[in-house]
Amino acid sequence: MNPHEGAQALEHEHPQAPVYLAVAVVLTVLTVLEIAVFYAPFLQPVLVPLLIVLALAKFVLVAMFYMHLHYDAGVFTSLFGFPLLLALLIGASLLMLFAYLAAHLSPVIPYL
Amino acid sequence: MAAQPKEIAGQRPSYLAEGGLVGWLTTIDHKRVAVLYGLSSLFFLFVGGFEALLVRTQLAVPNNHLLSADTYNQMFTMHGTTMIFMVIMPLEIGFFANFLIPLMIGARDVAFPRINALSFWVFIFGALFMNAGWLWHALPDAGWFGYANLTERYYSPGMNIDLWDIGLLILGVSTLLSGLNFFVTIVNMRCPGMTFMRMPMFMWAMLVTTVLILLAFPALTVGLIFLFLDRFIGTHFYVAALGATPILWQHLFWIFGHPEVYIMALPAFGIISEILPVFSRKPLFGYAGMAYALVLIAFLSYGVWGHHMFSTGMGPVADATFSITSMLIAVPTGIKIFSWIATVWGGKLRMTTAMYFALAFILEFTIGGLSGVMHASPPIDLQQTDSYFIVAHFHYVLFGGMMFAILGAFFYWWPKITGRLLDEKLGRWQFWLTVIGFNGTFFPMHFLGVLGMPRRIYTYPAGMGWTFWNSFETACAYLLGVAFLIFLVNLVRSLRSEQAVGDDPWDARTLEWSVGSPPPAHNFDDIVTVRGRDAFWLMKYGSHDAPGHDSSAGARASAAHAEAGHAHVHLPAPSWYPLLFAAGLLVMGVGAMTWLRVVFLGAGLLLVSIVGMGFEYATYGQETEESRATFFRGVDSRKMGMWAFLGSECVFFACLISTYMVYKARNLGGPDAAVLDIPLTSFSTFVLLTSSLLMVLALAAIQRGDRKWSAIWLFGTAGFGLVFLGGQVYEFSKLYLVEHLAMQDNLFGQTFYTLVGTHGTHVAIGVVWLFVMAFAALKGKLQQSRSLAVEIAGLYWHFVDIVWIVIFTLVYLMRSIKEA
Ligand code: HEM
Ligand SMILES: [Cu+2]
Repeated sequence: MNPHEGAQALEHEHPQAPVYLAVAVVLTVLTVLEIAVFYAPFLQPVLVPLLIVLALAKFVLVAMFYMHLHYDAGVFTSLFGFPLLLALLIGASLLMLFAYLAAHLSPVIPYL
Repeated sequence: MAAQPKEIAGQRPSYLAEGGLVGWLTTIDHKRVAVLYGLSSLFFLFVGGFEALLVRTQLAVPNNHLLSADTYNQMFTMHGTTMIFMVIMPLEIGFFANFLIPLMIGARDVAFPRINALSFWVFIFGALFMNAGWLWHALPDAGWFGYANLTERYYSPGMNIDLWDIGLLILGVSTLLSGLNFFVTIVNMRCPGMTFMRMPMFMWAMLVTTVLILLAFPALTVGLIFLFLDRFIGTHFYVAALGATPILWQHLFWIFGHPEVYIMALPAFGIISEILPVFSRKPLFGYAGMAYALVLIAFLSYGVWGHHMFSTGMGPVADATFSITSMLIAVPTGIKIFSWIATVWGGKLRMTTAMYFALAFILEFTIGGLSGVMHASPPIDLQQTDSYFIVAHFHYVLFGGMMFAILGAFFYWWPKITGRLLDEKLGRWQFWLTVIGFNGTFFPMHFLGVLGMPRRIYTYPAGMGWTFWNSFETACAYLLGVAFLIFLVNLVRSLRSEQAVGDDPWDARTLEWSVGSPPPAHNFDDIVTVRGRDAFWLMKYGSHDAPGHDSSAGARASAAHAEAGHAHVHLPAPSWYPLLFAAGLLVMGVGAMTWLRVVFLGAGLLLVSIVGMGFEYATYGQETEESRATFFRGVDSRKMGMWAFLGSECVFFACLISTYMVYKARNLGGPDAAVLDIPLTSFSTFVLLTSSLLMVLALAAIQRGDRKWSAIWLFGTAGFGLVFLGGQVYEFSKLYLVEHLAMQDNLFGQTFYTLVGTHGTHVAIGVVWLFVMAFAALKGKLQQSRSLAVEIAGLYWHFVDIVWIVIFTLVYLMRSIKEA
């Protein structure tokens, strides 16, 4: 089998201006929502989860449409997705490790 | 058609044939770049060896004062740093992998030949930069892992650590670029038929290694940038004052550090997996298992960094987790060891020197692996850490493992690289002296460690019970030195000999042996088509079994490349820009230590060479038609490279952002996140989002051939980028002038400015890039066929936008959240 065959349809047509504009509108709305959430006093208890969901939505939209992951070859999605996952794991581990450190040691050793 | 007939005429002159000094300075042929790497790292091998012998001589007897404590510190620090960054990595990756990757996958060169040359020049300048300390007796002196806060200006006022910090940053650029380059090469440049599961195992090892490089080096870069700021700007990333903690450095360093040991180990595994089958005349045992084991090792290696930090008190949960993951690594490693043994088992062994080294590797490496599993257990590690037991462990893996593999690789591939054999008799002498010298030097270190001898002491009193083994080790270290001198003699004698070898002196299995020794500049006359694993063996014998006496076999083999003569091979033109780029980086490094304006000079050089290369590169596609015949048809190597780079950037920003979140919570006083201006940054957010829209419109325009609108949108994107930067300048000035928040003032200040400033730097680079491209579009230099250039710039730009989405949320909108 020639591996070059069957790989032809790896890259599809990229979307055109209307799609881009629609995405831009959604991104704007999401950002307005984010800022609204920030200023709404009654939403403060759920601020963190709400903001994370909104940011995630924007992140995914830009990656899928502006960066064409939705249209392009799957290689690119894994090329980006795997490091992203790893970065999240490393970041989360660091936060947990330092949370433990902060809770179990005096934060400052006063010298220097 | 006959424009360059001499390139491909029957003789096929070797890649070494042409070009004087200028030819070597401007070369972008992967084989020549590899040779440059090889020569430089051989040189550093002897430098590092010299440092090691000084260390050993100092320790030969108690109460020795041959070296001062200071000199001793410099010697062991430079020994470790040199061996890791200037010997093992460049020999494995820069020399062997660079030479062999295109030949083994049937390609004419690596994916980005200019970047390959650039990596070399950056490497050599970085290495020389760090070694400049010899001139002032000011070599780095805080150990190869440079623990904070010893490395702070307060404790290390000299230039020693500056050289180490900046030198490693420079070397990191080189490594990251080679990693990126080779990753794309292996994924995208394989010849027809060379599926992943048909690649030589060395290619698998390099594929995984490059992923490790891309995803591990950013952590080191972040750590080094913090150190740089601490030393030059007066921040306190690693100083306990103001609430920071030196533990942060340990985490960042070992997030890089443990994957780094596998960046060195996996290529060695690959080398062994090539040598053993050839000299056992059997295919590699358990190919798929071997490949998956590599992947598993790489994945696990990100989850074990804490085993270097058990003694810092990470708590029972973290200790247990890191301990279990560390022990788990033994499983895939065991798979590899048993598969190697099974490969040799029952084979018709030919005991060449290469084979000797490969077999010894299995044994010595396993000893090191076993002591590794021992200190993966926290209570045991608390006894062993920072003792000579650890020194024994990592020398068994690094010398008994990596160095043995490298020496084996020299004996195996030297004929391919130079066209001459190494002397087997001298090789045998070298081998036995190495085995005796190595085990004699390092095995007793296990005993010394258990007897309580700490590492990194410059001398010790008599009567500790350490004297005998120390003297013994020093004697054996000199034996090891003799072994390397024999090696040197062997290399030089071989180069001076006339004797040439055939294309395939070992009756080998992989494609590099199907071309000349040394290979012609363009590697393959025709694009090779591969029918299975052990591609060259199949060409020769038609099956995987050992040959009977098939007399036509040899004839068929030479027929494989006999039909030269009609392919018209263009090779990409040499270039000065890689050298210029590296010089720019060096000037910047020197400038950082002397005068600021020199930094700008260096940055100017960088810019000139990048833009220069960019426009050279624009014609790349036409230069080498073959390079377009990539494995994934339609997937351009440059696009793949950009995505891989962005993946690497994810880890980079993850380290920065988590530092911000950790340190924000530890802020002890002064302004904190509450001062952040939400209306202003909301505005900036809209600006950046809009710029992303303009960017895709520019792309859509160029894709339908509308150059005018493409230029307009590009200028728009860059302009919005400038507005964003303006907002940032305003924000920073306000914080500084109104809130009186300087970078040095508190933890919030230093991490905020660093994180947001790093993002801003990314935006600034993007703005320059977009302006260059917009002007090119305006001048009609950006045709529809080059829309890919816009697409790639766009990927970068959108990524910067994505990072801002994250920063806007975590830093600004969550400004009142105290605990991470
Ligand atoms: C099964 C495999 C392995 C395990 C479980 C293991 C475990 C460990 C542990 C727990 C330490 C920390 C000891 C301490 O400082 O207290 C260590 C140190 C070290 N290991 Fe390994 N290791 C393994 C394989 C390797 C390999 C393959 C390499 C290199 C190619 C390597 C290189 C090193 C180095 C350089 C250090 C010392 C770093 C320093 O403190 O300067 N290890 N290893
Ligand atoms: Cu480790």
